[in-house]
Amino acid sequence: MSPVSIQTGTKLPEWELPITPTMVVSTAIATRDFQDVHHDRDIAQAAGSRDIFVNILTSTALCQKYVEDTLGHDVEIRGISIRLGAPAYPYDTLTFSGEVAEVRDGIAIVKVTGSVSLGAHVIGTVTVAVRAGAEA
Amino acid sequence: MSGTAQEPLVDQGVHDQVMATAERIKGLGEAAERSARDEVNQPTINNWLEAMGIDNPRWQCGEAPPAMAQVWTMYGLGGRPPADDPLHGMMRVLTDLGFTAVLGTNCEQEYARSLRVGERVRVTTRLESVVGPKATGMGVGYFVTSRNTWYVGDGPEAEVVATMLFRVLKFVPKETVAGRGEDA
Repeated sequence: MSPVSIQTGTKLPEWELPITPTMVVSTAIATRDFQDVHHDRDIAQAAGSRDIFVNILTSTALCQKYVEDTLGHDVEIRGISIRLGAPAYPYDTLTFSGEVAEVRDGIAIVKVTGSVSLGAHVIGTVTVAVRAGAEA
Repeated sequence: MSGTAQEPLVDQGVHDQVMATAERIKGLGEAAERSARDEVNQPTINNWLEAMGIDNPRWQCGEAPPAMAQVWTMYGLGGRPPADDPLHGMMRVLTDLGFTAVLGTNCEQEYARSLRVGERVRVTTRLESVVGPKATGMGVGYFVTSRNTWYVGDGPEAEVVATMLFRVLKFVPKETVAGRGEDA
């Protein structure tokens, strides 16, 4: 998708990501997170979980991807702060939405939410350095 | 009026023990320093890009994506935190006191700059705070906040490249309190 302008109030286009067992397992391993609840359904269920679930490093990574894909591949991400909510299980869909909350002194604060059927999975604040001239 | 005092969420002796442990571990400051197993490297970046479905060409030529900061110092399969690790030390004490369940609530990463292939990061861990007891939807527990700092280089050349605040709720699952068994 083509980048949207980085201005206060700019809404980021929605992005839907289907969650599959392969996605949960491959992202957990790619983040070098070998906790069994991210790849072994039997263990996850024995621990009281419905299924394996997306790990925290991936929730952070998906916030990076969403902001880069919507605001431009050359944005400089300075920080990603997330609050975690409902677990993201396979066969659900993660739907990202977001908005540029503030642009000040060359820094944009982007609020993003990744929701699943149970509610908000991740509520993130992504801090982006705005390049000179990019501020439309 | 007597007899209406609320029962404390946690036995005072248990709470005192939690807080005393927190003070002791906070006093360690930045501890449990360890180095990444590998230097920042393109194959590990490529695996991560593939799994995340990221096609930004910027990360395909020697610059590491910022959200990978923590990946480089993950313990790996079968890896365990060292005995003196402040976060795991605090978690272990809470587990032993009955706060067996854990839930990540906040993760706040700041990136000073992006990492380049060939750099090797090291990380320290500091216990920042233990707050509670709190009655939450999940059960009664304590919020444990730690701070990781990633460095490149040593001595006077050491440079902070990223930091992370990580908060978990360490709690007694509700069904355990209610005595309804663990399968609720």
